[in-house]
Amino acid sequence: MKRSAILILLACLMLVLFEGSLLGQEKAKFEQPVLITSAGQSADVTIAGMLFKKANVQTKALPLAKPADLDGIKTLVIVAGFSSKGLGAAGISREQELGRVQSMLQAAKEKKLKVMTLHIGGKARRGNQSDDFNKLAAEASSYLLVVKQGDEDQFFSKIASEKKITIDLVDKIADAVQPVAKAFGK
Amino acid sequence: MEEWSGTMTSGSRLLRYTILFVLMSAPAFVVAQDFSIGEKGAAAIGTKVMIATAHPLATEAGAEMFRRGGNAVDAAVAAAFAIGVVEPDGSGIGGGGGILIHLKNGKSVYINCYGQTSSRIMEIGFVYGKDNRTAKAILIPGAVAGLTAALKQYGSLPLGVVLQPAIRYAEKGFRIDETLSKIILDNTDLLQRHPVTASVYLRDGFPRTEGDTIVQPDLARTLKAIAQNGPSAFYTGPIAKEIVDEVVRYGGMMTLEDLASLQPIVSEPVEGTYRGLRVISAPPPHSGVTVIEALQILDNTSVSNLGYYANSAESFHLLAETLRRAYADRIVFLADPRFERVPVKGLLSQAFAQSRFQDISMTAVTPPEYRQTTVGTPLKFEPNTQTPALKDSSEKREPEHGSSLDPAGGHTTQISVMDREGNSVSLTQTLGTFFGSGVTASGVLLNNGMSNFASTAKVNTVNPNKQPRSSISPTILLKGERTIMVVGSPGAARIPATVVTLIVNAVDYGLDAEKTNSAPRFLCQRSEPYISMESRFSNEAQEGMKKKGHQLRLYGDFDLFFGGAQIILVDSTGTMYGSADPRRGGTAMGY
Repeated sequence: MKRSAILILLACLMLVLFEGSLLGQEKAKFEQPVLITSAGQSADVTIAGMLFKKANVQTKALPLAKPADLDGIKTLVIVAGFSSKGLGAAGISREQELGRVQSMLQAAKEKKLKVMTLHIGGKARRGNQSDDFNKLAAEASSYLLVVKQGDEDQFFSKIASEKKITIDLVDKIADAVQPVAKAFGK
Repeated sequence: MEEWSGTMTSGSRLLRYTILFVLMSAPAFVVAQDFSIGEKGAAAIGTKVMIATAHPLATEAGAEMFRRGGNAVDAAVAAAFAIGVVEPDGSGIGGGGGILIHLKNGKSVYINCYGQTSSRIMEIGFVYGKDNRTAKAILIPGAVAGLTAALKQYGSLPLGVVLQPAIRYAEKGFRIDETLSKIILDNTDLLQRHPVTASVYLRDGFPRTEGDTIVQPDLARTLKAIAQNGPSAFYTGPIAKEIVDEVVRYGGMMTLEDLASLQPIVSEPVEGTYRGLRVISAPPPHSGVTVIEALQILDNTSVSNLGYYANSAESFHLLAETLRRAYADRIVFLADPRFERVPVKGLLSQAFAQSRFQDISMTAVTPPEYRQTTVGTPLKFEPNTQTPALKDSSEKREPEHGSSLDPAGGHTTQISVMDREGNSVSLTQTLGTFFGSGVTASGVLLNNGMSNFASTAKVNTVNPNKQPRSSISPTILLKGERTIMVVGSPGAARIPATVVTLIVNAVDYGLDAEKTNSAPRFLCQRSEPYISMESRFSNEAQEGMKKKGHQLRLYGDFDLFFGGAQIILVDSTGTMYGSADPRRGGTAMGY
């Protein structure tokens, strides 16, 4: 009897672990091809490209992507964070950039694409100017990958909790390689 | 390059080294003082000394010199070397700048150490824009020559002592703050191009971030060599050879002779008046003339009677239209005076300023297109000289567009200092744009100052041994012989506008140091079709400006784009108020 109970318990444990693993893979259900774009025109898009490369995930990075660029794409990655330098270099205003990001998210929704938001710039990409972009992108995502310094006030954690979005917090930018790989089942 | 030790006898050298040893090893000689410290723009208050820089460790380096009994020049030079280590994105010994010194005896001097092109620069075909952030854009760095010259002539402490904080910070490392973290992030693409540079600022290919420590042992070795042997250790010998080799290896142009022959340009500052005060600033090819021209245009009327410019379209419009004209003149007339005749006297004449003021309509933008801004005629206001007459701007001098550095960023750095004797220093130094060329040699990150040349303007094109025009405008306001304001800022093309705005806030609106430094900033220039401005201007001011025909581009509330000013204001009792720009992570210290 005792032996049966132990076996049942072990079986349950296996089931739980298996389920957990499945859930983990559920979180990892992102598919290629991947389009990376910016929300705020920070240079973090370049760094995100490096992260995906290290994670062995092929991407196309277009900081100023338009909805038409989503044709054939299965995952949209938004790299959130404002940069006045980036906007200046792109020759667009903050309002134009907000409009572009909104149109990308709307198009992704219509095409039923999965959206992932990366926030890797820490405190440098927080504050009034950045947070409009951060909120816009985060709320439209099914997965948030955030460097902890950018979430010291739980800005992203709260969004994740309220919108029931999966979130991973990492200590350093380099630590984001593993979660990216996992998200794509690598 | 002149030997640091000059004609010292072995006896005097022994004495110097003995003093150096004592100063470096015996803290008992260091005078303990309780410093007032101001962070995030808040004023530090002192009656004897004051220093403001963009990094707490650089400010501390200057304070350390004051504790050792040094003067304002000692403190400024120590802070300048130190900030090149702890704010490596903005300046360093691989770059250059300008040092404005007003001495207690009433004499003023400007040491231009911006750096210049190689004597063989025409051999590599620098292409403006494409080559701006490459080794091709590297000027012969002038910082070491200028800082050591200032110290030798006007300082009181040995170079070995003044360099100690910088060496310490390079050797032991420093913590990356929020500002530097952001700038590293923004410039990762540049930093990863060069393995040696990447090894300092990146880890596993990704940017080091806030809280990480940066250690620069190679830079410490170079600084030690300069401390021991003076500037010749930098401009000749193995360090010079490594610099030349790296520059050439990456496609730039520099020779050992270029380095060995480089000298700072020492001259009188340019001078004008504003509201009865004397304004001294950086002569061409630096932009003190533009600051003074703008102030003298404004001197034709009252700004404060029109209301505070952040709340009033009337005063905002006047400031914008004034700056637009001063910037138009700057682009057309300012250049290296060793190569071009710059009509400095005309640009600084009160009559010329009056003519520019009369060109301004208070009701609407005139002409309505910024790019059509009329260039002034300063040559008409030049006194007769023997120099062959130069045709006026409208005929020969085509204005260029897009000659300013990259479209954003508060690159460069400012150090403002005063001492109990009444000496004051306004020092601006730069690598060009953030992290300069990205090329590192002997631990020294090298500049990209060539990007300050213009692609189309005749007066500011590339030539051998020439300096580009620069926006840097270290400035001092004097009441008689007494310093009442030390001011300057980084920020590329925004620099003259920011310096003018700071002076207007302090002088016209009577704001204290903290409020002056916090006040909203903007830029209006001919080469852009809109006013770039911080977002804290009132709706009334913004709407009023639009009605007058201005287009506005809003930035952050406190945006690094508009510089990182370091200012000192002195009241009638002699009390000094220092403020480090809240847009950048600096501090002011005084006692």
